[in-house]
Amino acid sequence: MIIVENLTKRFGDVLAVDNVSFSIDEGEIFAFLGPNGSGKTTTLRMLSTLISPSSGKITIDGKDISGNSTYTRSIIGFLTESPGMYEKISAYDNIDFYSSFFDIDNKKRKDNIEKFLRMFELWGRKDDLVATFSKGMKQKLAIARALIHEPKILLLDEPTSGLDPESAHMVRSFIEDLRKSNTTVFLCTHNLEEASSLSNRVCIIKSRIIKVATLEELQNKDDIKRFEISLSEDALKFEDIIKGFKDIKNYNLADNIIKIDLKDFKKNNPEIIRELVKRDADILYFNEVKQSLEEIYLNLIKE
Amino acid sequence: MKNAIIIFKKEIKEIAKNRSIWAPALVISILFALVLPIAFIVGADTLLKEESVSALFEKLFKESDLYESLVVFASKQLLVFLLLIPAMLPSLIAPASIILEKESRTLEPLLATPIKTSELLLGKSLTSIVPSFVLSTINFILLSLAIDIASYSRLGYILLPNLEWIIVAFLLSPLISFVITMLSLIVSSKSTDIRSAQGIGAAIIFPIYAVIGFQLGGFFLLNIFYLLLGCLFFLILCPLFLKIAIKVFDRENILTKWKLK
Repeated sequence: MIIVENLTKRFGDVLAVDNVSFSIDEGEIFAFLGPNGSGKTTTLRMLSTLISPSSGKITIDGKDISGNSTYTRSIIGFLTESPGMYEKISAYDNIDFYSSFFDIDNKKRKDNIEKFLRMFELWGRKDDLVATFSKGMKQKLAIARALIHEPKILLLDEPTSGLDPESAHMVRSFIEDLRKSNTTVFLCTHNLEEASSLSNRVCIIKSRIIKVATLEELQNKDDIKRFEISLSEDALKFEDIIKGFKDIKNYNLADNIIKIDLKDFKKNNPEIIRELVKRDADILYFNEVKQSLEEIYLNLIKE
Repeated sequence: MKNAIIIFKKEIKEIAKNRSIWAPALVISILFALVLPIAFIVGADTLLKEESVSALFEKLFKESDLYESLVVFASKQLLVFLLLIPAMLPSLIAPASIILEKESRTLEPLLATPIKTSELLLGKSLTSIVPSFVLSTINFILLSLAIDIASYSRLGYILLPNLEWIIVAFLLSPLISFVITMLSLIVSSKSTDIRSAQGIGAAIIFPIYAVIGFQLGGFFLLNIFYLLLGCLFFLILCPLFLKIAIKVFDRENILTKWKLK
């Protein structure tokens, strides 16, 4: 659905986005992760035709967006980093104003305004000036605005920023539900937990693309897996056994727990258990520990 | 055009709530379109008893009747005074409209809709030009009525509207309004402070005061030639400022080069 090829954006001497390529399938939730200044917002702006690339190409449904910017914006819903609402007019008038630029009939538009304001629990405050809203309420209103024309593609820049845990949970559930309507979601976030729970694939960027993969692919990087062995006695007693396995890349022995990063677990795990049992170790548990996206992200960014 | 009208309607709603914009314009209107013309004409005889005043009219109007000279002079002065509205109102509205967008960071979501930047520029321009044109026209009509009603019994004819009135109301005033609007939009894009951006109106207010002062000093009297010369000057400025404004209102420029708070 979205194909990005060799996308580059330069602002004077600053290379904001460097030769970035990826593709996103229809209905996919694609998380875009990176540190501040890594080119995430610039990429979002290029996807929404707000700014043009210095070089490279973006196609949506086979159409180059550079020649179809008005059409592209009509099928995209964009939640900007800052909610950006007119403070001196009501919540309803704000949404009504933005939605009137999209080609949707009046009745549908009014219905959608009511639907989304109700969904985000703002219908009761629809006639209040936005200036009286909390940050979280403004954020919810901004999400409603991005959805009002039922876009095929949703670009979300930090959708849960500023929301209380309950509202954030509601927004995440809503994003999850978007899968059913086959909406393609491009999710820019610093919240790695959110990215790992919602997305089909993640893209890690630092001007250049560092990695595009599913969470599972990232966790199984280089066939190294992490295991945790819980014992009923001090783990340090068995350090010599752990040291003896050349396929163990990292290990940590603390209290009664042995943590190992291991290659070729199918061959090595039974041997490790055998060795430990031979030494009369009381093994309570033997678990695989999945690496969190945060750990993976931090390692990749460091590299 | 539809999108420009949407912008225009929303902005007019906001301006209607902003007293700091319309209150000064209303005060100037009442003062120069109603109070001063009536005061001038009702107090004509008292004024003409002043030697310096009668000397001024003799110098400017040569052989004409002194009362008629005063009424004609008053109409010329007040026509110029009323140009303060097309100079001042856009310089208050346009910066407010742009800087408030910057403050509330509403430009990016707006630009992410299918609106074209030309429609945005048109919408913002209409927001400045239309109220300015409407208020100016009302003022020019009120001025005519005030002068004609107050002076008809002694002049025996209706002075306004005349050709000068038509040139000022329908050519010079809209041209000034357009140029100030474009200039204010351009300046506002680089400014984060509403007051400094609104100062642009002063650039045109000083020449207006200069014309008033020169007439009062008896150095010259506004006539059709000078008015057309003024129109030509602003007509030359129009495409120049429009071109710059279109460049400033490029989508990418707005997002990456406009000075934000």
